[in-house]
Amino acid sequence: MFGGFVLTYYSVDNLQTIFIETSNVFVRVGVILIFVFTLFIIIRYLLLIFFSVFQMIKRSAEEELYLDKSHAVSIIVPCYNEQEGIVASLKSLMNQTYPNIEIIVVDDGSSDRTYELAKTFEFNDGIKSLRVLSKPNGGKSRALNYGIQRASGDLICDVDADSKLDPFAIELLVQHFKDEEIAAVAGSVKVINDDTFITKLQSLEYIEGLNMVKNGQAFLKLVNIIPGPIGMFRKDALKKVGYYSHDTFAEDCDITLNLIAHGYKIDFEPDAIAYTEAPEHLLDLLKQRYRWTRGILQAIKKHKKHLWHFRKNKALFFVMWYMLFEAIFWPFMQLWGDLFMIYLALSTGTSQLLVFWWIMFTVLDVAGAVYCLLITKERLSLAFYSTIYRLAFITIINVAKIFATIEEWFAIDMTWGKLERKGRIG
Amino acid sequence: MNLLSYLSFLILTITLLTMVFGVVAYFLYKAREKKKGGNKISYEEALQQEGEELLFFTKE
Repeated sequence: MFGGFVLTYYSVDNLQTIFIETSNVFVRVGVILIFVFTLFIIIRYLLLIFFSVFQMIKRSAEEELYLDKSHAVSIIVPCYNEQEGIVASLKSLMNQTYPNIEIIVVDDGSSDRTYELAKTFEFNDGIKSLRVLSKPNGGKSRALNYGIQRASGDLICDVDADSKLDPFAIELLVQHFKDEEIAAVAGSVKVINDDTFITKLQSLEYIEGLNMVKNGQAFLKLVNIIPGPIGMFRKDALKKVGYYSHDTFAEDCDITLNLIAHGYKIDFEPDAIAYTEAPEHLLDLLKQRYRWTRGILQAIKKHKKHLWHFRKNKALFFVMWYMLFEAIFWPFMQLWGDLFMIYLALSTGTSQLLVFWWIMFTVLDVAGAVYCLLITKERLSLAFYSTIYRLAFITIINVAKIFATIEEWFAIDMTWGKLERKGRIG
Repeated sequence: MNLLSYLSFLILTITLLTMVFGVVAYFLYKAREKKKGGNKISYEEALQQEGEELLFFTKE
């Protein structure tokens, strides 16, 4: 972290020298933009790390021996052509330590053996039960609503059929609902197939995203996305916001923003873990990120009035601006910053600035990665990948995000496009 | 060539190559999706578009 500050000082010092020495207006504007962007990034890192540390301290102080088991939990598993992973997913749900569970599998018109496979697991022992429902294909949000409306539990846990849960996941999520203001709790998502180069990079990204970003957001009880693989909701709150809507490609983000708009708080449980299969091929990864970006932008667009009404809902105002920063401002500035640095290096020969600029971000990434890996007790060797993450991975992802943003801006048609799973969770 | 210049050249080259690779990969992804024909619609959707009129399928 200290190294990051030293490099920041050198980078800013270099930028200042260029600003003073040049008379080129383009370079001057560019230098100011880079300075503002760097400032934003550093403030973001510091705030998230500090909030994350505070949250950890707060959690350890609040640890209780008494476990709340009074809620009835309905787990909704929407699935469409999930024959590769459905068995492992259902087994993990039946192995949950929480006693009062109703599992509802909603087959969304699969054309493979998903329905038949799920049907073999149907049971009802009076305390736990599993039933399989079937409906014509209509998309994930409709399948979720179909299940929720037929659920008897007061808490709803949405789970992806291509993920499997840790045995204590439901029990840990339920504990957060002692606070009446909490409408939803996000769980942790980890990559199960982190055995290739591309999935190791994603694994690191998930670990950092959860432990630094989500933990930091949880300090303010303002987690901005309940992930598809694991999220628990108060049924009353879902009813109040009109359940999942069908007009975005990121129903998880949309429903979270809707809940915050209604004054609810959203928490995070780092130890409630869902294991998911990450894309193993670059084009599949781009497909996933393209859909996420457009979905998030659609959700932001839906709630855009809150961007300009600070007094109406302060929490949503901050969440929306934060999401806009992450979804649009950051990828554009990162790519533009790289291009500007290259232009400066080629036109002025100030090669050291490019090195300081790059190392500064890499040091921040490595520091963040080491912190997250240490607190999650994950392999420290993954920290090595944070240099590659900075050097190549993030640029490729940012290019896809920028194209997705442009296509969303021009409202170019897009389809859901299901990712093909290899059944690695089994 | 001193160390800073060498590193600068290395980062510059990798950054430029990665950007080009990112753009190429994105268009490859779009081409693959187009080839897959992601716009297929279900019978129910086709029926809805046709205003509940009867649909006739012809043999090619």
